[in-house]
Amino acid sequence: MVVKVWDALVRISHWTLVACVAAAWFTRQQLHEWVGYAALSIVALRIVWGFIGSRYARFGQFIRSPSRTLAYARAVAAQREPRYLGHNPLGGWMIAALLAAVALAGGTGWLATTDRYWGVAWVEELHEACADALLTLVALHLAGVVVSSVRHRENLVRAMLTGRKPAPRSGDVFE
Amino acid sequence: MRNLVFCFCLASGAAHATGLATCDSGPKERWQPQEKLSAVLKDKGWQVRRIKEDGGCYEVYALDEKGNRVEAYFHPVTFAPVPVGAKNHKG
Repeated sequence: MVVKVWDALVRISHWTLVACVAAAWFTRQQLHEWVGYAALSIVALRIVWGFIGSRYARFGQFIRSPSRTLAYARAVAAQREPRYLGHNPLGGWMIAALLAAVALAGGTGWLATTDRYWGVAWVEELHEACADALLTLVALHLAGVVVSSVRHRENLVRAMLTGRKPAPRSGDVFE
Repeated sequence: MRNLVFCFCLASGAAHATGLATCDSGPKERWQPQEKLSAVLKDKGWQVRRIKEDGGCYEVYALDEKGNRVEAYFHPVTFAPVPVGAKNHKG
């Protein structure tokens, strides 16, 4: 039994953002700028969708309190964390961090193209630091996806492609 | 995963030499100082923001005399303008 979890906008915005971030890493000048604006647009769209989208797309559904997130992290360390049908608490905060990092990288990148900040070293350095931070978050995100997939015997990459996940079993969290 | 990160780090390191243009400019002792290039461009009415080395050239970020943003390359010995895409420009 499988259930629909990720709506089309969540999935399309996820994979187009992946494509934009990857493309941004390897492009420069005009193309790099356009890829950056595309990434910023997707982040803006995803943030709006986080308030009006389907159930598991909403920030209110997956951004958990710090204490609950900490409790979840401890459970992960002890290998007894429950499976979440939507994002687990650490995954939820990772999404917030990834969106923020893309927004900051894109924002500082745009700033570097304005007359006022053109060629200004600290803007460029901040932009590079944001990009490096984003890369680190991506690595952690991938590690989280792998660990969670193995632990709960489900393919989260496929779930983000099809939108479907195995139906909740006893002990799973789906609220 | 480690390989992926390593590969990204390599790409990141390479980003500092952009490869947009390269100059055949010999030893740095014979280069003219950046301050002099800055002064030459300021005399032309440019607002120079930053000069750095890139691919053996000087890479200049500036607003030109018309106020356009420019990222221009110059040969560090002759100060000849180096078009983007030039390889081992002799000045």
